[in-house]
Amino acid sequence: MKLQEFMTTKIEFVDADAPLYDAIEKMVDRRIRSLVVRFPGKNASDCGVITARDIVFKVLAKGANPKNIKISEIASKPLACIDRNAEFKEAAKIMEDTNIARIFVCEQDKIVGVVSLIDLMDAALIMRARGEDVF
Amino acid sequence: MFFKKIFSQYNKEQKVIEGIKRHIRLLCTACDTFKTALENHDLKLMREVFDIEREGDVIRREIISDIYQGAFLPYIRPDLCIFVELVDRVFDLIEDTAFRYLDVEIPEEIKGECLRVAFLNTRICEMLLITFEAMLKGDDLREKTLAVRIYEKKIDDIKFVLIKNVHKIPISNFWQGKSLSELISGLTDISDIIEDASDHLQIISVSMR
Repeated sequence: MKLQEFMTTKIEFVDADAPLYDAIEKMVDRRIRSLVVRFPGKNASDCGVITARDIVFKVLAKGANPKNIKISEIASKPLACIDRNAEFKEAAKIMEDTNIARIFVCEQDKIVGVVSLIDLMDAALIMRARGEDVF
Repeated sequence: MFFKKIFSQYNKEQKVIEGIKRHIRLLCTACDTFKTALENHDLKLMREVFDIEREGDVIRREIISDIYQGAFLPYIRPDLCIFVELVDRVFDLIEDTAFRYLDVEIPEEIKGECLRVAFLNTRICEMLLITFEAMLKGDDLREKTLAVRIYEKKIDDIKFVLIKNVHKIPISNFWQGKSLSELISGLTDISDIIEDASDHLQIISVSMR
């Protein structure tokens, strides 16, 4: 099964120079767990990512004030990217090998989607229901 | 197992089952035609959805009449008819949505999402056929109906993005806005009815145990 079948296309961006609190507000309002971080003058392959996990463990759990921290300070770079025509198995392998929870789907120099662990689970369940080999 | 047993023995029942399969396959064709027409902005192909819907109506009438001419035990007939009617509602909705498409140009901002929904509609429809065939074999439908629910949820997620994005698009007149709104509703509601149909198969399957 191709990634484009089950990827999520809802992607939100934040600027690297913005305060971390902006990112937190966006994640709460939009009910999402990660944001793509845009660095000025860079293209998609140079984007970063910030997750709820980063915010909780790198900032809030340490008692730091998210209003005084820039997003760029805790964002992870570079993004893990994969082609939209890649197969489910490829994404699963990269995520397992690199221990990441989401992988971004890129087309040329544009991010067109994201595949998270829950998307992989959905895809695996659909493949089982269709009688296809999962792994 | 119930259906399998009936299959080998009674002609009337077999005719109904074949009719329902044909009905669902035709629905898959309608979804696929809609998706291809949308991809290529092919208005002529989009009009073919109307013909497919009419063909679907003919098959529905045949199935219902065969059922009430004595196929299956009376207790199961209403449930089979409800299932057939649900599939027919999907045909009607695809037809309405195709009609809306002829009325309005989809703005570039939401074209990608609309195409994704049309694609997922073809997949969820195939899944309904797989579920129906699994029921005939007497298989457990839990995994199949879960897959249908996953597809429906994915389409629902896209629907919220579509609604959010469509609010940002300037609309020059009321009717254009209304048609666009109905096009989006139709496109994203197809999976809801297919989910209902798949749940109904589960009910039929349980009631025959």
